[in-house]
Amino acid sequence: MSIVTDLLAKPGVVAAGEYAYRGDRFSYRGALSEEHARKASIMCRATTMSVNMEASMLEALEPLSGLPPPRGWLVHGPDYSVCVIANVFCLIDNSKGSINDLVGFMRQALAHVPSDMI
Amino acid sequence: MTTLDDLMKLPGAMAAFEFRGGGELLEHRIAYPDRINQSILDLLAHMCAANLSIATMQARGWEKMTGMEGFYPIQEFTLIGFDWSVVVSGLLREQHKQAGKFSLPPLMGVVMANEKADYEAAFAILERKEPVQGA
Repeated sequence: MSIVTDLLAKPGVVAAGEYAYRGDRFSYRGALSEEHARKASIMCRATTMSVNMEASMLEALEPLSGLPPPRGWLVHGPDYSVCVIANVFCLIDNSKGSINDLVGFMRQALAHVPSDMI
Repeated sequence: MTTLDDLMKLPGAMAAFEFRGGGELLEHRIAYPDRINQSILDLLAHMCAANLSIATMQARGWEKMTGMEGFYPIQEFTLIGFDWSVVVSGLLREQHKQAGKFSLPPLMGVVMANEKADYEAAFAILERKEPVQGA
């Protein structure tokens, strides 16, 4: 089973997908239209590239800080959250899912993914 | 007991800090000075201020574009690093803005070791409602 399929089986996950770091393709499953999933993957990819740039600046200032390479990021809204680890994203309904469980699962499942963003 | 002190009681808490909307570091607590120092917190505060603003712009745009609500206002932005995560919130500022206050409180954040991080407990402390004076 793919990570996206596994994620969709988790409580509260509305949609999940993967994007290519170079930005030329994406795939998804869940309650989003193709166009909205494309926009979501673009926003997630842009933020991932941005936090990687920021982490490398922090590393230049303070080597071995413990931040780089960043594994992902999370935006928590009043009803929904977006969680991204490596090149995998998912949308979660806060009232139905556990952020702690989801981050733990994604970190473990994607621990083997290289951090060179290729 | 301040919110910073409460944040420092979270499992794996390494540092807690306050910062301005422009990213300037204000008050802070550091549990492990050999791993997190003031210089790291200073750049981290600037990074988090920038990411919180971008996330807010994206949430607003996403809601307009899709008609899906419940993303805005952003309550917390979390960056998950290799060894530790940082969680920041501007919710208290949002409450003051909505109350029509001109003077806004600082943003707050906590750095937690990944292996022990309890993100939901951090959210709960950062989302704790405080009375807005004169509201």
